[in-house]
Amino acid sequence: MTIKETGGREIALDVLTEVLENGAFVHVALSRALFKYQYLEKQERAFITRVVDGTVERLLPIDQALNACSKVKTEKMKPLIRTLLRMSAYQILYMDRVPDSAACNEAVKLAVRRKFSGLKGFVNGVLRSLSRRKAEFDFEDISLKYSMPRWLIARWEEQIGKEETEKMMKAFLEDRGTAVRCNVSLASREEILHSLESQGAAAEPSPYGEDLLILKEYDYLEGLEAFQKGWIQVQDLSSSFVGRLADPAPGSHIIDVCSAPGGKSLHLAELLKGTGLVEARDLTWQKVALIEENVERTGCANVKAQVWDALELKEESVEQADVVIADLPCSGLGIIGKKPDIKYRITERDLEDLAKLQREILSVVWRYVKPGGLLIYSTCTVDALENQENAAWFSGSFPFEPVDITGKLGPGIREESMKDGWIQLLPGKYPCDGFFISVFRRKASRSIE
Amino acid sequence: MAIRKVRVIGDEILTKTCKPVKEMTPRIAELIDDMFETMYEENGVGLAASQVGVLRQIVTIDVDDGNQYVLINPEILETSGQQTGYEGCLSVPGKTGVVTRPDHVKVRALNEKMEPYELEGNGLLARAICHECDHLKGKLYVTLVEGELEDVDAPDEEESEE
Repeated sequence: MTIKETGGREIALDVLTEVLENGAFVHVALSRALFKYQYLEKQERAFITRVVDGTVERLLPIDQALNACSKVKTEKMKPLIRTLLRMSAYQILYMDRVPDSAACNEAVKLAVRRKFSGLKGFVNGVLRSLSRRKAEFDFEDISLKYSMPRWLIARWEEQIGKEETEKMMKAFLEDRGTAVRCNVSLASREEILHSLESQGAAAEPSPYGEDLLILKEYDYLEGLEAFQKGWIQVQDLSSSFVGRLADPAPGSHIIDVCSAPGGKSLHLAELLKGTGLVEARDLTWQKVALIEENVERTGCANVKAQVWDALELKEESVEQADVVIADLPCSGLGIIGKKPDIKYRITERDLEDLAKLQREILSVVWRYVKPGGLLIYSTCTVDALENQENAAWFSGSFPFEPVDITGKLGPGIREESMKDGWIQLLPGKYPCDGFFISVFRRKASRSIE
Repeated sequence: MAIRKVRVIGDEILTKTCKPVKEMTPRIAELIDDMFETMYEENGVGLAASQVGVLRQIVTIDVDDGNQYVLINPEILETSGQQTGYEGCLSVPGKTGVVTRPDHVKVRALNEKMEPYELEGNGLLARAICHECDHLKGKLYVTLVEGELEDVDAPDEEESEE
């Protein structure tokens, strides 16, 4: 018997080629492959995930090591060989349980299978040399150690200091598991834990919220009963704080202007216990379809998903909302732990463009807030330009004032800035994504804009 | 040791039933060595003696679990569960197809010293045991394929989204 030629390593090679050579998003390419190869054993799927994520996560030191062992530099290599060497180097340098010889032999076999027989000697030579010399590579240089572009490190060190920057970069490389929020109106946390355990998924309660769980070991999220029945919704701790800070009164009208995939909208709908209305908007029908899928799965009847461009003023919504959720498009620097390709992709120019886009959207959506109502501006990034600076600009430009949120997130989350209405959550300091939240109340008297 | 020629579909010998091995002889021992060598050379995970033209009930399996299994006169005792996935066969070169097999198999056989033993396998090992034992009965996996037999080198199907 033979097995289909596409073993785990070959699948990983194809996914990585898509990401590193063709600009695909790592989480998209990976989940598409795992969906397609559902028949693979759980360990094989876990191996693919580890190799793909790991190779992207550690790309800078990997290239450094490869270039030390190869006369042909990585940028001059053929794309397939470059990717093959990178993922094999990851296994040699970072995966103790894969013997170096296996990583090397499999790479040679893959080179041959992909019609690069002529380069099998090269692949073998570079990887053998890497394996022999791996003790030399200790990557003390901070950019190599955390595989982070220098300009980002410099930027963060200036904004949050050296120590917090290093803690954060370390946290990005750690596996925290998948945070999910329980829809306690559908099932109790105990019931949910029981269901997860019966399907072999390991989960533990989060210390930061009674309805939060951390999923540690599972094969395929969509295959879990608790997911299919809508009992759990993937939502990071940080993002669930938005709902907690909104703390909507029953019957509230909420507008979530950039909602997809709908995590916060669903959380708010749950907090409203079926009353009121959550308008979950996003730019394209594809995004809205994602929201609708989640709405249907969780059965939240008080969520209305609709296609709407946040930059366009919707006249009939003006002064209608008790709460406006503005979780806006951002650079995503806070979720590098989950989407490691972001760190190589993003440029300084992108940060400026995004900060500008955020201001443009805020300039429109504040009008939806009733006098006395709330606007919550959040991003999943760690950068003052998009966060603190935009928040300050917002309250300076529109009839809003910051809301003191001290103590609102439980005893575990304390920051001086909370009395000024904002918090920058940093990975490494808190067990969550890098996330920024600022809360504003619209002044009751209508001032002139 | 030598690499033997693998018979391919169309060769009548693949449709014939293999006979039990009565005793270990130098020729049989050499055959087993050759079967492993041939199997590794061709990137197989299992091989039946009939595939190298010998109508004896001998199977070699290596699914990369650190073992080299030799199954002489194997007899499947029980099966349970099911798995659906791609498999291929050295006697059907360049092709692959989806086959549903038991996920768990218990088999009794003799090892290369003609000592009886029982082997239980899950997943890939279970699949390989079933596939090779079918060979001993003159049966190829192509009769079990669900849907079409595909070319191994065929490009991936177009993704329907994006």
